[in-house]
Parts: sequence; C-alpha cells; structure tokens
Amino acid sequence: MTRLGGILVVLAAAAAVAAPFFLKPFGIFLLSTWAVLTIAVIGLNLTLGYAGQISLAQGAFVGIGAYTVALLTPAGVPFPLAFIAAGFLCFVIGWLLGYPALRVQHHYLAFVTLAFTTLVFLVLRNEEWLTNGIYGITGTARPNLLGWKTGGARDFYFLCLGTLALLSLATWWMLRSPWGRAFVALRENPVRALSLGLDTRRYTLMAFAIGSSLGGLAGALYAPLVQFIEPNSFSLGLSFNLLLMVIVGGSGNFFGPFVGTLIALLLPEWLRVTQGYYLIVYAAAVMVMMAFCPTGVLGLLERAVRALSRRKVTRAPALTGGAGP
Amino acid sequence: MTAVLEVSHMRKIFGGIVAVDDVSFEVRAGEILGIIGPNGSGKSTLFNCVLGQLQPSAGEVRIDGRPTTGTRPCDLNRLGVSRTFQLLQVFPQLSVRDNLIVAGQEHQGSMTSRLFGRADAGLSGAAGRMIEFFRLSHLADEQAGSLSYGQQKLLDAAMAFMAGPRLVLLDEPAGGVNLTMLGQLRDRLQAYHAEENATFVVIEHQMEFVMALCTRVLVLAEGRIIAEGAPHDIRRNPAVIEAYLGH
Repeated sequence: MTRLGGILVVLAAAAAVAAPFFLKPFGIFLLSTWAVLTIAVIGLNLTLGYAGQISLAQGAFVGIGAYTVALLTPAGVPFPLAFIAAGFLCFVIGWLLGYPALRVQHHYLAFVTLAFTTLVFLVLRNEEWLTNGIYGITGTARPNLLGWKTGGARDFYFLCLGTLALLSLATWWMLRSPWGRAFVALRENPVRALSLGLDTRRYTLMAFAIGSSLGGLAGALYAPLVQFIEPNSFSLGLSFNLLLMVIVGGSGNFFGPFVGTLIALLLPEWLRVTQGYYLIVYAAAVMVMMAFCPTGVLGLLERAVRALSRRKVTRAPALTGGAGP
Repeated sequence: MTAVLEVSHMRKIFGGIVAVDDVSFEVRAGEILGIIGPNGSGKSTLFNCVLGQLQPSAGEVRIDGRPTTGTRPCDLNRLGVSRTFQLLQVFPQLSVRDNLIVAGQEHQGSMTSRLFGRADAGLSGAAGRMIEFFRLSHLADEQAGSLSYGQQKLLDAAMAFMAGPRLVLLDEPAGGVNLTMLGQLRDRLQAYHAEENATFVVIEHQMEFVMALCTRVLVLAEGRIIAEGAPHDIRRNPAVIEAYLGH
C-alpha cells in the first residue's frame, strides 16, 4: 500500500470512531448497519471479487446467521458462543453450496445460488415451529460482554465496529498469504492454476465457505442491531443489494466493500428529499456507474491517481526538453 | 534405466472421432522429445490425456514406473510434472513475480501452513532467480497482462519451471513468438535443460525450433504415430512429407 493509502485508512478509521459522538441515534443506527453489512460484503468480495465465484446467496447467509443468534440467545446461549455458532454454521453450509461451483460457473452458478436463497427464504417463512414464520422474532438482546453493556446505540456501534475491524484484519491477513494469490489465480485461470499444483477444488470450496461464514457473522450482529428479524429481510433483494455493494465499491479491491456499502446505504437516505423519485434516481445512478466505471468507485480513484502520477512523470522530461533550443 | 514417462496404448475418443488412436511411446530421462504433426493430429489431446486434464478412453500413463492414469493435474504437478499451454496462460492481473510465486507455492507445506506462513511462501528469492534466468528483471513488478506476447510466453515457460520439475511438457512454446524472442526462448530452454537435467516433451510446428532443440522426434497424423527418429531423418521421411503436404 502506498503512503497516501495508509494515511487515508487511518483517517477513515479515526472518522469511524469519532462519528457516533456527533450523530443522532438514527445516524448511529445507520453507521452500525454499515459496519454490519460491510462484514457481509467483505465475505462476498472474497468469494466473487477475489476467487471469481458469483454468489447470489450472501443475503441468505446473513439470514441464517441472524436467526441462529435470535434463536440461541433466548435459550440461554451466551452471545459470543451464538456468534461463533452462526459463523460456523454458515461456513459448513457455504462449503456445501460450493460443490455446484465445481461443476458450473458464471450465470449458471448465479442461478444455483439464487435458488438457494429462495430455499432459505421459504424455510424461514414456512417452518413456523422454529422461526415463527412471517411474524419474525423480536427483541434479540444486545449482549453484555465482560461487564460492558452494549444496549445503547453508541456502545453497540462500537461492538459492530470492533468486530468489523477484527474480521477485516483477519481477511487482510488471509489475502496477503499464499491463499490470496491462489484465489486470484483461481479467478483468472482455473485450468492453469490446476496445472501448477493448486488444488482448485479445495480453494473454491474454501472461498465459498469463508465468504459465507462472514455473511453469517454479519447476520449474528444484525439480529441484535435491528431487534426484529423476519424472512423478508433476507430475501433475494438483500443478496442483490450486497452484490451491488461489492461492485460499486470495486470487486476484488480490499477496500471496496467499505466504500461500496457506505454509498449504497447513504445514497437512498440522501435521495429521500426527492420523495417518490428516489428509487428512479438511485437506479439511474447505478446504471451510469456500471456503464462508466465497471471497476467501481475505488477502481475509478486508482485510475485517476495513476493518470496524475503518470502526468507528473511525463511532464518532467518534457520541461527539460522544452528548455533547449 | 526406467523411462520418466511411459504412455501405452493411449486412445481418446470424442463422440465418433478418434483423436488419439493407440499411441505408445517412452521418454527417457534427460531427453528432449519433439512431437510434431499437422493441425488436428491429436498432439494436444495426447498431452491433455497424459496430464490428467482429459480422461483417456483407454490406455495407461506411467511416470517413473508409477501408474498415474486419471491422476488430477494438481497432484501430477506436485509429483514433478509441469506443462505449458498452446494458448497463453498467465495470470494477467498478478505481477510477474506473483505469477512465479503462485506457480511454486503449492509445492511445500499444507494449506494450513500456507495460510499462517510467510506471505511470499518463502519463494521471493527463487522467483527472483527465475525472473533473472528468463531475463525479465526489468518487468518483475509489472502486471503480467501488460507484457508483450513474447514476454508473456517467456513468463509462461518460467512458471512451468518454477517448482523445479523433472518432466516438462511444452505445448507449442514457439507459437506466435517473433524470431528474436524465439532465439531467447530456445536458449533459455536449453540452458534450463542443461542445468537441471530435466526431461522435456515439446509439441511444435516451427521446424527450425524442433531441429535445434529436440534429440528425438515423434510424428503424429490422424491420431497415430507414423514416424519416429532423429530430427534430420524425420525431415526426409516420405510418410511425414505426405502427412504434411497431402497427396
């Protein structure tokens, strides 16, 4: 990472810590939602952006995580354990969902994962004995962790932010390890990767499992954040939104999820002044964005920085050349 | 001395087309075997069957006397068998250095040790030497996709050598490479062969390249071996001339 990048990251982190002291409760809620969804988007960015496996199932994993915590904590399971259980359950289910990816790719894989999301939605809605069906589950308690009560908006935001920081670090570690290189190799050329000794089968399943497990962990925070979950929250719409966040931020870019989620959450809020038209404006903005910068906001930024630094380099010899007769 | 690679009675049938028809040959240690033949004569299919990318319809492959028919490409690679492809196969968005590291990283430790171990898998040094060996030093940190075709072809070959294989199958290494780059490529292949005492099997159309590089040549036509021998004899073989020029 360049020094400029490092400074930007530190500034953004400082802003994220300071922000709740200047915001009203709704602002803090929005920011908490950002932290939670970013975790899920980091997971999807891993599966899709790095390993190249398209998935329309991330919303379903958020749902599975949310319901896991919403069902386990009232039964007396401490939150940290329920949180880990949510991640583990989604890891296992994600691993299994990875098997179709070994056979089909691209839009076919999109349809397989889309079917999975629908399946999860139907289970959440119809298995009333477990999930309370369309009435959902209310009042998932915000946890006390070693005497720290996270019931208040600000405290819970810091729990979300801290979790996001930890999981980002873990993901960063993994992506800089040989695994990260292997995921990109898998995305760019699976046949060549296989011929170079990469067990593409295992890496594909891993990419799915870890990405899904991050979705589950996001869900585990989502339930106590909103304190009311119902099947519709985790229908296909959420999966599409998470996919949008990955792409708007910059697919395959480590910082993409942070930016993409922020934009996709804030834009609708800012567009509220347009009242009934906000969805139209929002959709148009997304279309323009996809047409003109398919590499996302960060891709656009990188191009701009590169163009600027190139101009600096080319200008120097031009000046000396101009000085001569 | 056992052969490094033995292929016996290999057949591959696609629908009604027999792409490889009862092909048997051996490759001895340290040899550079050339496989030539008109387009569609089954050369690449033969490679793909030997390397586990395709399942042969019949026949057997042995490496160092050990049967390996149907072994997955990644496992074969870890046994010391490497390959390049007819079409360019580098990872365009990775740097030249990372292309080489990824080509070697799976040959040591386990998945777990790779997750917690060093970011470069301890291969920066080896990658650097390979980059130098293939004269790509000035491009080490460039994205592989930004290299010229010939440079990518060199990188492609370097990747196949990264893990120090004993047997390398090269599928048209000279295809589409200009003359200057071709000389460099041949030179590097010969240097690697001499230094590591590696065994090569080379599919190639470029006859000069084959004549200069190979110690023995097999000629394939319509899925069968029609001739075998020293490069200069092959050139004069009437069956070969007919296969290339038609009736």
